[in-house]
Amino acid sequence: MAKKKFSERAVVLRHFLHEQREVFRGEKLSIAGLIIVGIFMVLAIVGPHIVPYGPYEAIVDEWGLVPDNKAPSTKHWFGLTRFGYDVFSQTIASSRTAVIVGLISAVMVVFVGANLGLLSGYFGGWLDEFIMRITDIAYGIPFLPMAIVLMTLLGRGISNVIIVVVALFWRTTTRVIRAQVLTIKERPFIQAARVAGASDLRIIYRHIAPNVLPMAFLYVALAVGWAVIAEASISFLGFGDPDSISWGQMIHYVFAAQMFRQAWWWFLPPGLCIVLLVMSAFWIGLAYEKVVNPRLKIE
Amino acid sequence: MMMKQFGLDQPKLTQYLIYMRNLFTGEFGISIRTNQKVIEMLSGKLWNTLFMMGSAMFLALILGVIVGTVLAWKRGSGIDTGGIAVFLALRSAPEFWLGMILLVIFGYSLQWFPIGLMLTPGTHYTGFFDKYFSWDFIHHLVLPVFTMTIFYLATPMLVTRNSILDILHEDFIEMAHAKGLSDGRIMFRYALRNALLPVVTIAPLMLGFAIGGQVLLEKVFSWPGMGRELVEAVNSMDYPVVQAAFLFLGAIVIIGNFLADVLYSYLDPRVKVG
Amino acid sequence: MPLLEIKNLKIHYRTKNGVVQAVDDVSFAIAPGGTLGLVGESGCGKTTIAKAIMRLLPKNGRVAGGEIRFNGRNLVDLSMDAVRKYRWEEIAMISQSAMNALNPVARVGNQLIEAMQAHRPVSRDAAGRRMAEVFDLVGLSIERARDYPHQFSGGMKQRAVIAMALLLEPPLIIADEPTTALDVLVQDQIILKIKELLNKLSNAMILITHDIAVVAETCERMVVMYAGKIMEHADTDAIFYNPYNPYTLGLQNAFPSVKGDRKNLISIPGYPPLLINPPPGCRFAPRCPFVLPLCRTQEPPLAEVAPGHFNACHRAAEVEEIRAQAKKEKTWMNAKAA
Repeated sequence: MAKKKFSERAVVLRHFLHEQREVFRGEKLSIAGLIIVGIFMVLAIVGPHIVPYGPYEAIVDEWGLVPDNKAPSTKHWFGLTRFGYDVFSQTIASSRTAVIVGLISAVMVVFVGANLGLLSGYFGGWLDEFIMRITDIAYGIPFLPMAIVLMTLLGRGISNVIIVVVALFWRTTTRVIRAQVLTIKERPFIQAARVAGASDLRIIYRHIAPNVLPMAFLYVALAVGWAVIAEASISFLGFGDPDSISWGQMIHYVFAAQMFRQAWWWFLPPGLCIVLLVMSAFWIGLAYEKVVNPRLKIE
Repeated sequence: MMMKQFGLDQPKLTQYLIYMRNLFTGEFGISIRTNQKVIEMLSGKLWNTLFMMGSAMFLALILGVIVGTVLAWKRGSGIDTGGIAVFLALRSAPEFWLGMILLVIFGYSLQWFPIGLMLTPGTHYTGFFDKYFSWDFIHHLVLPVFTMTIFYLATPMLVTRNSILDILHEDFIEMAHAKGLSDGRIMFRYALRNALLPVVTIAPLMLGFAIGGQVLLEKVFSWPGMGRELVEAVNSMDYPVVQAAFLFLGAIVIIGNFLADVLYSYLDPRVKVG
Repeated sequence: MPLLEIKNLKIHYRTKNGVVQAVDDVSFAIAPGGTLGLVGESGCGKTTIAKAIMRLLPKNGRVAGGEIRFNGRNLVDLSMDAVRKYRWEEIAMISQSAMNALNPVARVGNQLIEAMQAHRPVSRDAAGRRMAEVFDLVGLSIERARDYPHQFSGGMKQRAVIAMALLLEPPLIIADEPTTALDVLVQDQIILKIKELLNKLSNAMILITHDIAVVAETCERMVVMYAGKIMEHADTDAIFYNPYNPYTLGLQNAFPSVKGDRKNLISIPGYPPLLINPPPGCRFAPRCPFVLPLCRTQEPPLAEVAPGHFNACHRAAEVEEIRAQAKKEKTWMNAKAA
């Protein structure tokens, strides 16, 4: 019995992956996005192990002092920070923070948001009202001010950043998924399922959910972008995790040292990495956007 | 004795009522850090923030709609793909970083604009209008507003473009062509007019994020606004100031939402307010 | 001289699967003040012809051959500026979904006035007066001009669009499925209104529809199209009382009639062909119960079988026998096997 179910699921999974591959067919930009995100994911995993120095490892000369000239050299491709840390190592090590925060937040944001949207849209009534009111309230709260207050209350750390991002970003996904559910709900095949005696949960997760999946994936892609920028912003303001390193934090340090005018090697790489990662995530989103709104395909 | 001063010896309900009354009369208490009345500290900062954010949002919306319309018109061409690529790239960059880059190029290297602050230190102003409508102020305003505008431009631009492309498939557009109306008139009076509606819907969302942008850019450009006060207050655990600053920023979002609703009902005759 | 003359018109659509020959060598004409019904199934090319006349074909469509002569001028060669001039002023079109033909954010009256002012230097007042005239003609009260489209019912929107078409007194009006989107009672009202207007005014009209009953009530002449080609072309009475073409006979069977004996509706089995690389011979051959091997290899020319009555069928001479057979349900059931 259990064996049968496993092979069934394998088929479903293979079919699912096939479908996803179709989404990306011919979408050069989105495929490029996937590759770049993939590279960052690899860096996130192996990065901290292969870089020459630790992020907070001071490079000192034989006198125990930090060298004056911190510009890039053959030994330090991206040069040094004010305190003698290797910028290249910091940049690579930061991928870990970005990828963890980006992916986990994005998946959770959409998980929470989509489920709320499904339930709200399908059941309607007081549940819908309730969820919508909460969403309205969430919309009224500006993200960054709330984030820094919460970071101060919860303490600094990556997991708290993730919590903050999820707590404030689920709202857009909910609204959008709910709108889609409302249209899908009235379609004949749903009525047919109901008449056939399917339970509500089954209808929601077996019939409606697969149809909102492209929209959900679009929002995962977007949310990765938002989350990475959110973390960078929080860190830039000085509320990042002092024990780890992230691109936002690097920029925070450059600014605090007021060295961004001269030390271009220090403040350009982290920014460029953010641009690269976020843009790649948006490019991936473009492929799903074309699925959701076929009119965007050019004849 | 301090309990009595802050009314903490009263029952909870009374405390709450006093709090609400204070809120409405602008009585926000005393800053723990500076011992000044909070309302005095913050009132000036509110205008600084509003001017910067207001100008940037206004420009971002107007320019975003115009650029979006042009891109929709030139759909598929190099201008279209190029335009989208450029603004998407700008949107993917952390805006504080963009601000820093612009500061280095235009402030330090070219020296066209001052390096932060709102007004040249030491100058004296006689009043509200004199201060905010002086060349000095505008000179200082350019870089921060420019940074914010090019960052936030992407959203209304994409929404407008997609909205117009959708609308161009509608039957009333074909009818407009059949009536012999010119392309330009159709684009602006028929397509754009209808495409504005989704833009007005997303404007409040932009506002929520724009406040974040404002906080960040106030740090980069040392702009003496509400955002900077909030950050400093949070860092020094100055609760009354945190509360007040947060309230002001939240109020901006809510009022913005309200204005957007009003504007929407004006633009769409199918919707009535209330 | 005919008002509008379509000569050997060919229209192609470029798609990613190939070139669709949507309209293939179609010719017909309409006299000033005349009424012509263009009938056929969806996809037979009738709307395409209307769009070509108005130069409203989508980007991937083009006139691949033939002429569209309006008062002698070939419309196909004209510049866009000239096209915009004749649009609405010489030829007005009421498109398929008048439901959505009005700009939702502008008042109905303003849209009519706009149509006028785009072609003539009239003041708002003068335009307003003309608008009152046409509103009266279609049976709309002038106060409604201040309303927005969403405040109009379906029938009212249709009337408003008809009124808009009448504004500049165009010699030719093309009405594309003017009643399809309406419910039956309103359909009837609109058709009566159209008849009334045709009697009163001197505009010529081409009425495009898949519903031959509507054509029967309103048009003097009729063209039956199938898969981009003309099957039969004659006075409406002639087609109803003396039909020649098997397809026409099939169409007549497929429509319910309130009068006469109660009979089963006989529909034509099968589907219209794909028009990318259409097979040789008569386009209706795969579905025709009277098909001969000749029909599959050679296209039947459009021949005059009676004065003013044109038919494209190899078996036109056997028309009496065909008419008799077509009345029987069995004939059509066997058509698929043929």
